Amino acid sequence: MAEQPLVLDGLVTFFASHHAIRAEKALKKNGFVVVLVPGPREISPNCGVAMQFEYRCAEQVRDVLARNKVQIEAIHQYRMEMSPESIDKFRDGR
Amino acid sequence: MPVRTNDIVYFDNAATSWPKPSQVQAAMIHYLQEVGGSPGRSGHRMSIEASRIVSDTRDGLAELLNVDDPARIVFTKNSTEALNIAILGCLRPGDHAITSSMEHNSVMRPLRYLEEQHSVELTVVPCSSATGNLDPDDVRKAIKPNTRLIAVVHASNVVGNLMPVKEIGAIAREAGVPFLADASQTAGSCPIDVNALSIDLLAFTGHKSLLGPTGTGGLYIREGIELRPLTRGGTGSKSEQEVQPDFMPDKYESGTLNVVGLAGLGASARFLLQTGVERVIEHERALVERFHQGAAALSGVTVYGSPDIRQRIGVVSFTIEGFTPSKIGLILDQAFGIMTRIGLHCAPAAHRTLGTFPDGTVRFGFSYFNTLEQVDYALGIIEQLVGDMRNG
Repeated sequence: MAEQPLVLDGLVTFFASHHAIRAEKALKKNGFVVVLVPGPREISPNCGVAMQFEYRCAEQVRDVLARNKVQIEAIHQYRMEMSPESIDKFRDGR
Repeated sequence: MPVRTNDIVYFDNAATSWPKPSQVQAAMIHYLQEVGGSPGRSGHRMSIEASRIVSDTRDGLAELLNVDDPARIVFTKNSTEALNIAILGCLRPGDHAITSSMEHNSVMRPLRYLEEQHSVELTVVPCSSATGNLDPDDVRKAIKPNTRLIAVVHASNVVGNLMPVKEIGAIAREAGVPFLADASQTAGSCPIDVNALSIDLLAFTGHKSLLGPTGTGGLYIREGIELRPLTRGGTGSKSEQEVQPDFMPDKYESGTLNVVGLAGLGASARFLLQTGVERVIEHERALVERFHQGAAALSGVTVYGSPDIRQRIGVVSFTIEGFTPSKIGLILDQAFGIMTRIGLHCAPAAHRTLGTFPDGTVRFGFSYFNTLEQVDYALGIIEQLVGDMRNG
């Protein structure tokens, strides 16, 4: 069976960056693909970091974070406007 | 003039430890050269890496102190700041606080300030003039209906005796009074379990027994304990609000943290976790025991504190008849390359308790990196000084 393409369409927001780092550590340890990114303004006014993940794993992610006592603000289904392809376009046009 | 460190015997670790594990400076240089970035402020990779460093350091400290949730540890510039956050953030006018007569001024001065200017009632429980020991029952007897804080040093910075924090913690817990332990001398050199000791607030510094750089320290705050923050400002979180966030650790961490220092502290914490704090204290106690045995044989030398080695950390205090401590300190440094701390050690109450006020004592603060040969070397010099004195 072909593997599903990786779509980081989930986003976890946090109250403090301390929790974002702990979340990343706990999830990576459990084999999840996660990426820390600047929190998008339209999701949360916090100026800290948010964490992208595959939204289809939302329940498992919530579970791992709860088990590791990582405080979160919210879990969103959200795709960053700036896709990797469009970032590449910026780079090429430099 | 650069110090020729090869010739030096460094016995001033109770003031600040030296040398540091080599991993400390490597971690600090790594941050400065390759990481940069402000933790928790931006979302770019350098900022995120800086946040990782801070988080790893918090995790290391939590493991060392058996803190369940690392977010309950807030970073400060030293113990003094941590103690001020705890004391000033906890007490209000009309409250009563209890402390001991062996405290450092970092506990005593904030308490005396509140007593003089903010109508806080203070009981200073006297400790033994012979040993500096504190009877936990005296603490129990001092508790009143308005007691809101019991603040006790974990081990005296003057004589190095461990206070009965477990017993005091149990007494405080039973009375429903927050218990603040000052672990300035013990964090890193003595096993600490905040749960087993019923400690609600624990202040530590990074640059002494934790073997990290100066400018680092922290405060553990048990869940359920609410303090008024000492400072308010930018935290990188809840930036849309003009009021301080109320979640950990940001509530008490305004302004950019000392990331370069915390990088070093994280490295020293990992060194201690790998080495084992039990091994550190066993080593330091062996040095203390050697010093005690050697000094006991010398007439004219008085060693202060408890003779029970199991109750000691790596700190000894002594005087030599016929010499002021300042003169001994000068001779040891200038003629023999031994660095010590002389005088009152910022703890006038402790010296009043021991009868060594106002001259103070000479203090040797040992570290994991000191050796029995160094202790023997110092004992040989003390013997020589005693002999010189006797022969006029």
